Amino acid sequence: MHLINRIFDNNISKNAAAIFGALITTIALTVCITLIWPFGDRIEKIFAGGTFFFVFWASLFYWAILAKNGVVAWSRILIIFFPVLAINIFSLFFNL
Amino acid sequence: MEQQTHKTLYSTHAWIGVISGILLFIVTFSGIPALFDHEIEFWQYPGYGEVANDIHPDDKVFNLEKAVAAAKAVNFDYDNFFIQPASDINNHVILAHFFEDKEPDLRYLDANKYQQFVSSPSELNHLFAHLHTDLHLPNPWGRYLVGLSGMAMLLAIIAGIFIHVKWRKEFVMLRPKRSWRLLLTDQHKLLGLWSLPFTLILAFTGTILGLLGLISPILALAAFNGDVEKATIAVLGPRAEVTGEYSPVYPLNELWQRLEVDLPDTSIELIQVSGLQIRNEDKSQVTDIGGIIKFSGYHKDKLSNLESVTYNLSSGEMIHQGSFIGKGPFQRIFAAVTPLHYVLFGNTWLKVFYALSALAACGLILTGNMLWLNRRGHSMEHWLSKLTLGACGGLVVSTGLTFFSSQLLYAFKFSADSHLHHHIEEWVFWLSWGVILLMPFVYQNGFKLSHYLLRLTSFSLFATLLADGVINQRWLWLTNGWVFNVQMGILFSAILFIYLDWKMPKEAKSKNENSTTSNLQQSA
Repeated sequence: MHLINRIFDNNISKNAAAIFGALITTIALTVCITLIWPFGDRIEKIFAGGTFFFVFWASLFYWAILAKNGVVAWSRILIIFFPVLAINIFSLFFNL
Repeated sequence: MEQQTHKTLYSTHAWIGVISGILLFIVTFSGIPALFDHEIEFWQYPGYGEVANDIHPDDKVFNLEKAVAAAKAVNFDYDNFFIQPASDINNHVILAHFFEDKEPDLRYLDANKYQQFVSSPSELNHLFAHLHTDLHLPNPWGRYLVGLSGMAMLLAIIAGIFIHVKWRKEFVMLRPKRSWRLLLTDQHKLLGLWSLPFTLILAFTGTILGLLGLISPILALAAFNGDVEKATIAVLGPRAEVTGEYSPVYPLNELWQRLEVDLPDTSIELIQVSGLQIRNEDKSQVTDIGGIIKFSGYHKDKLSNLESVTYNLSSGEMIHQGSFIGKGPFQRIFAAVTPLHYVLFGNTWLKVFYALSALAACGLILTGNMLWLNRRGHSMEHWLSKLTLGACGGLVVSTGLTFFSSQLLYAFKFSADSHLHHHIEEWVFWLSWGVILLMPFVYQNGFKLSHYLLRLTSFSLFATLLADGVINQRWLWLTNGWVFNVQMGILFSAILFIYLDWKMPKEAKSKNENSTTSNLQQSA
């Protein structure tokens, strides 16, 4: 447990959350926005996702990097990632 | 703002800048000639100016049927090809066919008689445009790297906005007689604040353009079950469907006239023809009944370069219309990306303003790197300082030398087919950049070397004008139009580099030195 804490609770972990965690979550969020965007036709949905991609990436990057430590940074990323992933899976595979 | 938040933002701003600084400088600086791509292309080859002089403005009305007939007359026998009509700058029609594994087949026709003429042996404009968009790296990795550098710029700008809280004061603060570090700090803040709206637009649009290929599959996954082809067709229109059945071609000039209704206020930049063939027996034009002709361009009044209309070549029926005007906000944002990035709106002065702002962004990147080193107590002897000077200074000098060599090579009259002219241009560019990259590691005085590099750039730009006058008889006082405008741009750049050489300090003044000097002055 101590080792796990040490791995997650440092600056490298925080930076990894800001760079890689934010990117993966951004991809999931982009898919989600494209799927559920309520306005306009299918092309509008694509471009809404495309525009938000960069906004999400920048926002998540700074949200993670401004965290107190790696654990908080990863918590912030994952708290978004898992619900969004669930929406994507249900929408893509179960057409909900 | 909490002190810890400010500290983290400051540190993130600095590290992003240092890690991506040199790459960002290369992309930003090469963006200046890339911005004037068409203007430089017109100037770089005196033959284009001669063709333009033969054409009366009234004769420049585009004739699509003549262009297609001329393509077939010069054995440009491709089923799928592109036509680029004459623009306001280049008075020639370009025919292009792209291969997957080799260089494209390009033919140049004059915009009046539609006769083929010898194309430019120089490819100066392509050299810089390709460096800006792809860094001369294999497709698509170079494009992605450029996109990522844009994203780094965007992140650095966001942090920069939040850490500079005294922006009202910093807008006008420059203390040139104080220490080297203060001078760098003031310049960095001054350049950053004044060019902020511009750098923000360029970073955002550049990131989208660079990374669009990377995010397209993600978007297609969501909207078209991962079918990128289907998504592309939905946005940009259908491709030709080859059926093997042929019919006569619908009158092409009639389609051209219909564009006034179907695609109003649009400047047509590209025409794609697919499925057109010449019958061997009577040399008449026929088309596959699935053949298409697609017209695309940018709107003259609104920010959109994704306006297009596609017709069936056989029946003339409109099969797709792709206009982003009046559509949802996100489609309009995407349609505005390229016009905003490459200034496809406004006039030449707006382009000049963009170029000056890009130059300011280059200064911003350089002062940022130097400041980071200076605050850590590193001088010009640090390897990053040398690398910055070699890579960034080298690019500036090699750009000037390549411009000069491009004109000088006309003395040797290399034909376009031999490709020697543009191969030597490329050699001059890469070799001079490579040599200057190593120079700071050999010559230890970085300040002196910076002055030499600025002078060499200025000298090579003056020499470009001289070579243009002596070899091509295009002296500045004899030219007009776009040739004159480009020459004035080169002259202005040469003077600017002399000014920078004059204003740049000869050595780094430390804080202590300044206080000693002021104490001595006070006692005196």
